[in-house]
Amino acid sequence: MTRPNTGELDPGESAKAELRKYALGFVISVVLTIAAFAAVLSPLAPMVKIIAVCAAALLQVATHLRHFLHLSFSGGQSREDLLLVLFSVCLLSIMAGGTVWILADLQGRMHDSEATRAHGAARGDGGATSAP
Amino acid sequence: MSQPTSPIFGRLDWTVTPYTDLLHHVTSSTIVGAGAATVLVLGTLGAVALVTRMGWWGPLFRDWLTSADAKKIGIMYIVLALVMMARGIVEGFVMRAHQATALGTLSAPESGLVAPDHFAQLFSTHGTIMIFFVAMPLLIGLINFVLPQQLGARDMAFPVLNQVSLGLTAAGAALVMVSLLIGKFGTGGWTVYPPYTGIAYSPGEGVDYWLWAITISGIGSTLTGMNFAVTIFKKRAPGMHFMRMPLFCWTSLCVAIMLIYAMPALTVSSAMLMLDRYAGFHFFTNGAGGNMMNYANIFWMFGHPEVYILILPAFGVFSEISSTFSGKKLYGYTSLVIASMSIAVISFTVWLHHFFTMGQSANVNIAFGIATMIIGVPTGVKIYDWMATMWRGQVRITTPMVYLIGFFMLFVIGGLSGIILANPSIDYQVHNSTFLVAHFHNVIIPGVLYGMLAGIHYWFPKAFGFRLCETWGRRTAFLFVGGFLLTFMPLYVLGLMGMPRRSPTFQNPDFLPWMYVAGVGAVLMLCALGSLGWTFWSSWRRRADLAVPGGDPWNGGTLEWSSPAPVPAWNYPRIPDVKARDDWSAAKRGGDPWKGPDDYADIEMPANTRFGLVLAAAAFALGFAMVWHVWWMGVAALLAIVAAVMWRGMIVLEPEIVPAAEVERADRQFREWVAAAPPASRADEETPRNRGVPDITEFAG
Repeated sequence: MTRPNTGELDPGESAKAELRKYALGFVISVVLTIAAFAAVLSPLAPMVKIIAVCAAALLQVATHLRHFLHLSFSGGQSREDLLLVLFSVCLLSIMAGGTVWILADLQGRMHDSEATRAHGAARGDGGATSAP
Repeated sequence: MSQPTSPIFGRLDWTVTPYTDLLHHVTSSTIVGAGAATVLVLGTLGAVALVTRMGWWGPLFRDWLTSADAKKIGIMYIVLALVMMARGIVEGFVMRAHQATALGTLSAPESGLVAPDHFAQLFSTHGTIMIFFVAMPLLIGLINFVLPQQLGARDMAFPVLNQVSLGLTAAGAALVMVSLLIGKFGTGGWTVYPPYTGIAYSPGEGVDYWLWAITISGIGSTLTGMNFAVTIFKKRAPGMHFMRMPLFCWTSLCVAIMLIYAMPALTVSSAMLMLDRYAGFHFFTNGAGGNMMNYANIFWMFGHPEVYILILPAFGVFSEISSTFSGKKLYGYTSLVIASMSIAVISFTVWLHHFFTMGQSANVNIAFGIATMIIGVPTGVKIYDWMATMWRGQVRITTPMVYLIGFFMLFVIGGLSGIILANPSIDYQVHNSTFLVAHFHNVIIPGVLYGMLAGIHYWFPKAFGFRLCETWGRRTAFLFVGGFLLTFMPLYVLGLMGMPRRSPTFQNPDFLPWMYVAGVGAVLMLCALGSLGWTFWSSWRRRADLAVPGGDPWNGGTLEWSSPAPVPAWNYPRIPDVKARDDWSAAKRGGDPWKGPDDYADIEMPANTRFGLVLAAAAFALGFAMVWHVWWMGVAALLAIVAAVMWRGMIVLEPEIVPAAEVERADRQFREWVAAAPPASRADEETPRNRGVPDITEFAG
């Protein structure tokens, strides 16, 4: 049906509370986005930066699910929601874990990475953007 | 592309059409290119002229393009797919014709019908079109048409989103089509691997055409997946438990899950490549820590689930037709459900087998090789289930059954060659050869194409009210079987003889006889395409003889056969109360299945809207503008999309109300007609005596 269905999601919740939920979600999202950029631009160690960006990304996902997609682990739909989250986490960890495994393995089979980098820098092989 | 970019026309000028090439050098290659562009122009003009002459613009706009009815959207998807399929098959024929004339010598390696660069465009567009704009729209269209009816629903959960998905797919298809006339398509194959497709090696518009077409239609497919999933979870009729759903609904659910989780990977890999090409990023170039191998990794994370997205709806169709045309209940329902879901999940764990030879260690390869062999098991279970369904049934060799039997024979061969390729050590020998080309055509043609054509033949009466001509239908099926065998079996041999795939030329004369056989097969495939068109045309002319207003021409068992043909927009006068698996079978066994509901109520249907059309036009404009670097138009199109979405979010939409009296009148008329019609036995199924009212006394399913 083409009627707006937002009112059917949780009849007990007033429109005002709903709006507040969206607004809060929006603010959190913006803060997390700024935090990720701030982390990249900051003088922190690369590893710390990566961890900060990853943490901000995971929190961002959680914020979207909770505030925009109305996912919750309590209430009438909690069982379905939990299954959905578990299934998604399972597939995403297969993809992410598989990628890390494959690319780490490929990396390990390249020439020694330190030497490659030095060699590449010496050859001026920094970027392939210039036309051959 | 060395000329400066104009602020108004971007990189467009008068030299981008294939006619310029033809004026420069008249060769068979430029003649083919200009001919294809001419067919596109004349075809478009012809279609516009026909619609204008017949006064169809109004009905086309009101009843189809602005409709939010899932059944009509499904039919439009299938029409789009068949148009694109015509181009794809012709391209396949041109490639086979080229290779049959491509025997070169070491001193003059270039020979044959088309130039090497043109050949590369052909295999790139053929693959892109066949996967994204033929197979995907066919299966999405069929699911759109069938799924709500089988679930006992009136429509999809999000009818307008459905329209948007169709619009985005059509916009992508239009971009690929326009590349025939304006500019060139990419030459990087349908997978578009960097670094070759990076800006350094492919500076022109070709790869951008692919990227925008795929990104736009890919977003449409993601939305479709969500729509299917929500429909299955939320819109089932009362009593339609999961384990009562017809198998086609189960495979649709698997497809929905895979679309949701796999399509974003494609969108991500395309977006990363776009950033590389447009914004100087280094995701897939060596500079700044980029790694081109990650493209293959992300692409196939989508690409492998994709092949099961393609095949599972066909499995669903085969489940339905093996049961209906054998007059038996589907054998091993539960095992088929488990097998489908297993395939859906395991398909996410095998993607590396598409790049066994990229250089990772044997441990990684073998893990994915084993997973690949495991995924063959549920498919084998399914084949046995369908054969057991036919066993001792009242089998009628109708067109869908010819496709099913062809599928049994050929798909198993394709599956077995897949198991061979799943072994990394063998894959090292035959990878990148035509053995691989033969393998994937051997699963996609007998699997997806036969399945979808069988499904179209099976549900056609439900959509249009008349059956398709069985004689021509069977001829088409035999031509597709024969054409497939002759075209692709030689490619297995050629692959083992060492012929690399995608070769514009070869120097070994031993290849030539096999090339000729494959060329003959390609002619048969063209004949099959013509025969398919003739089936629709001749059936349309004989539609009075073939009409089945009773709506149940095959004595089927699932819910959709209880409604009249063509099915009314609201599907069912009352949402059915489902009491059993294959509810219509149970009603038939209970006697008096056509008993009407006691009372009728107003029905809410989604109102027509132009939203999908607007978004499709804007998405096409966005893609075209970005391909040709017409920045102002790209910005305008993007703003138009944002504005349209916001406008849609602001307004209150009223559904269309079908009054109870109208529903009652139509429904009573149908039921009186059925009560008066003489029932047709199965022996009369192909004769004009079949008016869609089967003899329920011989129903055993």
